[in-house]
Amino acid sequence: MTRETANPPDHDRAFMLDALPWLRDVSRYALSLARNTHDAEDLLQETFLRAYRAWHTFEHGSDCRAWLFRICRNEFLRTRDRSAQFVDVDEPVLEMLAAVRTRSTGTRSPEEVLSSIDLPAAVEHALQLLPQIFREVILLVDLHDHSYHSASDILGVAIGTVRSRLFRGRRLLRESLLAFARDAGIVYAGAE
Amino acid sequence: MTSLSTTSEMLDCDDVMHRLWEYLDGELSPDRMTAMRRHLELCRNCHPHEAYERAFLDAVSRARREHPDLPGLRGRVLERLRDAGFAAR
Repeated sequence: MTRETANPPDHDRAFMLDALPWLRDVSRYALSLARNTHDAEDLLQETFLRAYRAWHTFEHGSDCRAWLFRICRNEFLRTRDRSAQFVDVDEPVLEMLAAVRTRSTGTRSPEEVLSSIDLPAAVEHALQLLPQIFREVILLVDLHDHSYHSASDILGVAIGTVRSRLFRGRRLLRESLLAFARDAGIVYAGAE
Repeated sequence: MTSLSTTSEMLDCDDVMHRLWEYLDGELSPDRMTAMRRHLELCRNCHPHEAYERAFLDAVSRARREHPDLPGLRGRVLERLRDAGFAAR
């Protein structure tokens, strides 16, 4: 493969010191988005290649991890052509769906129910059921430890939008987990 | 009465429930975090909700640790970057 024109040593060293330490975090995010290791690796490699080529645009001292996550998300949307899913959502309907109350779980406390189920599988299953606009903010805040501010930067939306989507998404996720527990026979069928 | 206790006095259970996830995420101002903590320590109505929501968020975040790392990934990324001219070692 033909190599591209070399950058100055300081440029590459800064990229190595500031960007590459986040490789593991971004790889996990890529896996969250792509859902299989092959696509996740392609996404990750493209993310770092694009980041390297755009390194001169990175504002040093700003949040490099968030910058890499933003590139990763944009690349995911570009390659999968999934951007339509982000605009064709009827938010009032979703809000109505999400406006659910915590339900009774029979004689077991919710904490006991959550500790009784196969959580990784249940969370993964429940996340897949969420509309994309809720799923992606939960991925960033709850699974990848981004602040609301960082998530708003990555997603390109206001913090209030992050907060709103996060809370609606969590309500839906919580309901899905309890439904998963009900299906597994952990919650009494007549508990509601 | 201090400003903190004033803030604390102003928080009723509805306020606390409305801000509970922001509190658990550490996204409130320091004064509001303190007022929330004080209310939750004392309120028998709100405390179980806090315990439940904390358990829920812990459950979700534990799922993250199940994501396997991709073996040999760093080497393959570096190889791709070197093809693009990356020269740092």
